[in-house]
Amino acid sequence: MNAAKLYGNLIWREQKKDPAKAGRMISAGLHLYAWSIRHFPHKGMPKAYQYLNDQGLENVAKGLDDPGKLAWTNIFAPVEILECFGLTCVSMECLSSYLSGFYIEDRILDKAESEGIASTLCSYHRGFIGAVDKGILPLPEFAVTTSMVCDANINTFRYMEEMHGVKSHVIDIPHDYSPEAEHYVVEQLRDLIRELEEKTGRKLDMEELKNRLRSENRAKAHLISFMKKRRTHAYPQTMTLVLFQLFASHLNIGTEWSEKVFEMMDKEVESYPDTDEKKIMWLHVEPYAQPTLQSYFNYGDKISISCDDFDLDYIEPLDAEHPLEALARKMICNIYNGDYSRKTDAVADYIREFRPDGVIQFCSWGCKQSAGGVGLMKEKMRDLGVPMLILDGDAIDRRNCPDGQIKTRLEAFLELLNSSDEKSSSRDPNVAAADHAEAEVHE
Amino acid sequence: MIAYVCKYTPIEMLTSMGAELVRVEPEVTNFNEADALMHPNVCSYAKAVLEDMAAKDYEGIVLTTCCDSIRRLYDTLKSRYPDKFVYLLDVPRVVNDYSTGLYAERILALAKAYADFRNMTGNIDDKVFKELGNTIKVEQDSLKKTGNSGSRAQPDEKAIQTHAPQVRVGILGARCPQSLLEILDEHGVRVAFNMTCTGMERASSLWDRMPELPETTEQGSENATGSSQSDLMKYYASALLGQIPCMRMVNAVNRERYLEGFESELDGVIYHTVKFCDSYAYEYTKLHKEGKVRMLKLETDLTKQCEGQIRTRVEAFIEALEAEKRVNMGKAEQMRNASNTEQLQRPDGNHMSNRIHDKQADKDILVMGVDSGSTSTNAVILNGKREIIASATVRTGAKTSESSQKVLEETLNDAGRKLGRKITREDITVITSTGYGRVSIPYADRNVTEISCHARGALYFNPKVRTILDIGGQDSKAIRLKDDGTVADFVMNDKCAAGTGRFLEAMARTLEVDIKDLGTISLESKEEIEISSMCTVFAESEVISLIAQNKEKADIARGVHKAIAGKAYALMERVGLSPEYMMTGGVARNKGVVKALNERLGADIYICDTPDIVGAVGAALYALGID
Repeated sequence: MNAAKLYGNLIWREQKKDPAKAGRMISAGLHLYAWSIRHFPHKGMPKAYQYLNDQGLENVAKGLDDPGKLAWTNIFAPVEILECFGLTCVSMECLSSYLSGFYIEDRILDKAESEGIASTLCSYHRGFIGAVDKGILPLPEFAVTTSMVCDANINTFRYMEEMHGVKSHVIDIPHDYSPEAEHYVVEQLRDLIRELEEKTGRKLDMEELKNRLRSENRAKAHLISFMKKRRTHAYPQTMTLVLFQLFASHLNIGTEWSEKVFEMMDKEVESYPDTDEKKIMWLHVEPYAQPTLQSYFNYGDKISISCDDFDLDYIEPLDAEHPLEALARKMICNIYNGDYSRKTDAVADYIREFRPDGVIQFCSWGCKQSAGGVGLMKEKMRDLGVPMLILDGDAIDRRNCPDGQIKTRLEAFLELLNSSDEKSSSRDPNVAAADHAEAEVHE
Repeated sequence: MIAYVCKYTPIEMLTSMGAELVRVEPEVTNFNEADALMHPNVCSYAKAVLEDMAAKDYEGIVLTTCCDSIRRLYDTLKSRYPDKFVYLLDVPRVVNDYSTGLYAERILALAKAYADFRNMTGNIDDKVFKELGNTIKVEQDSLKKTGNSGSRAQPDEKAIQTHAPQVRVGILGARCPQSLLEILDEHGVRVAFNMTCTGMERASSLWDRMPELPETTEQGSENATGSSQSDLMKYYASALLGQIPCMRMVNAVNRERYLEGFESELDGVIYHTVKFCDSYAYEYTKLHKEGKVRMLKLETDLTKQCEGQIRTRVEAFIEALEAEKRVNMGKAEQMRNASNTEQLQRPDGNHMSNRIHDKQADKDILVMGVDSGSTSTNAVILNGKREIIASATVRTGAKTSESSQKVLEETLNDAGRKLGRKITREDITVITSTGYGRVSIPYADRNVTEISCHARGALYFNPKVRTILDIGGQDSKAIRLKDDGTVADFVMNDKCAAGTGRFLEAMARTLEVDIKDLGTISLESKEEIEISSMCTVFAESEVISLIAQNKEKADIARGVHKAIAGKAYALMERVGLSPEYMMTGGVARNKGVVKALNERLGADIYICDTPDIVGAVGAALYALGID
């Protein structure tokens, strides 16, 4: 039994006697893990990822240690504003992921399900609900979510308010952009700010917010530059570290350390040689605990993720002089919001820009917005001649991620990418694709 | 015809433009098209709408941004039917003055898009606004006249000749299948309200809480001035957004307050959820935890094949509510109602219930219960003293009618041997059937669901039992009983065979072990093995890879049993763990499952000598008319 699993069992055992103590053990576990990577990193782990790992873990642990300054969010919440009030933003998706890291996801998922929560609900949400209902996560002072992308957000946060008294603020994001829609969101952001000012007794420093947006622009520029260099350069990775990039691109965007991470990655990637590994654009979340994917992507040399749609869900520079309008536009025009054609067009653009060899879309259990569009994405990739693999599974629940199926599909996809390479020696430089090829689709 | 799916759709506006709107109530048997174009793990209703679009020649469809599945449905339909009017209307989730204005603008944009599609002149004709104003006025006047207060759906009073205490239920949750309403109607159940997606009566749902349409707006619409049209649209948008909020809305807090007005007249709530529509399960969970009202959670995928599942659950729920009402009425009242309820029509037309009670004192009376399950059919004969005289078990096989005939003969023969005389069908006063095949037993006088029968049968064997776990061939259920013996709550597994007898059979086959020996073998286990997948197919492949790793059969079998115990425990937890516990059904004979379950429960679960006939005993008790 590995250490994380053993520790997870201890957490669960403690939970039965003293849930709050189990919660402190979770935080202690994160500190311990951060410490171990700080002092004994994997020899192949790039420095930027070591820093990302450290900051990402410590930030969550800090939030759990001090619930008075903790804000629960979802991944799309305007954390830039919350950060100006000194709040530590921890997303519920991230909390579920960590609990899965301790191998207790089956028990928190079952807990939620046994209470009546739908077994078909996204596992991130279900796990989060189970954990909070079990009392192993400290309750924050405040929670902020948006209505965009995922329809579970409003319901999960409302549940937390009704059942656990966690005051939630929901920002409704319209489907399409219009000046009126932007105004609608800006007014809601003003409401949020008023509420935060009242809660914290602190006025929003608009200059600080502007500076955060400027930092965000620089961070995104580094990220894009990094992904361009990844067209040819290797950059050792794990599924977990790629997922951790969301700390820097979303949950802690606008902080100094987030900018520093992408700046480091942008520079460090140049020190790695060119590689002939197959490069993938990953769509949707990475199931970091999946054994076959781990065996191929974690410090492997056959295939790697060179870019992903989550980190690139909004890359337009923000107008820092008008921060609320910029944040409103960022949410409304996110590629995950609006018609799905916005997403397929953006992915097509990114493929032209970053030239991956193929695309993998992971349909995580319960995520209807992702799974529901997979047919359209496949059609778009077919039109572009980009090989695409669709994997079905669960980003959290190990029981719901059949290894045999994933292994066969991934290996067949790799064979397909390699054989396409052999067939077409001259590739269209604008479209990093092989012949018209199609990978196996879900059952 | 323009199809629509959501109550926030501006039906009146489009109708004023000459469109004919039809609510999509799909009746599908498969999702072949939807699974191919979208993904299997998308809300079943959204998939059914896609199938419906393929099957019917709609002019188009107006969808709303109500949930992720419908958003993706829009994207798919838009791509699939470029020549049809496929429109997505963005409905705000926050309701305030600004969002109401936004929504009014969006409705106008929809109207313009429809006008373009129909090659109307471009701008919305003034007549359309006048027509809309008139429609609103007419509906409001009509509402005033009928005095139809509240958004309470008033079911047609149907003269159903039943003497059972009339049960009144409310329906909550996601889109309600027509078959549910039909079953309720069939049993004379009164539906106090139907708060599912488009279940409310439209006119009262929209106008009940609105002030009357201002006179100036009406006149303005005739004059067709820009500002009065805008006022009319804001008024209309406000009425649409002012409906009882569905779960997508930010302000859908305390929807259950709506229930408060019904406290005195409601016996229970049927909470319907749709597979992969997860929004409503939150509200169900909250109401369930509060425990103020009796609830049945019903999850379907809206296919026609669900009807059997719906029927068993709904009928069991009605039985439980009726039983509770009887208890409340007092014992004397109860007995009178019970005897009246027995609508037992024998082929000869005699009313059996009277015969039963006439002969109650007669110790020679014989009744029979038949439990027709997916794997086995069990039958039991009781005498008037509630003693088991005979029983038999046969495999259900491919035809229920054949196995039921066979079990009848075997039980009668067994009774004959025990009583020392020939026993024929005519000697059995009443036969009650239960189980999945209960409606297909030609010789049964009546049928009762297996939920009620297992509850009654369990108490027969052990009156202290309060939580029952029944694991049969294709389903598993947990039932919690009140102290008075009536059913307090029950849950059943869904269509999936995970954790059922079929699952065990598949595992035994893979391990090349006789199903009867699987339990005993697992008791010799020495190594802990986890079977993580509960899907029968995936678990089978997990077992195969464990075999490939040369793991011991005993350890694998124990892993399988632990997996089943985990699933069963979750089911029991959902109804509430109330000691003492009893397990019924064929799987209770498996010592490995029982051991794993005892460990999980931290308590001993009671197993009677004949766990597979408990349901049949319950049915026989029903035949005796004993509550």
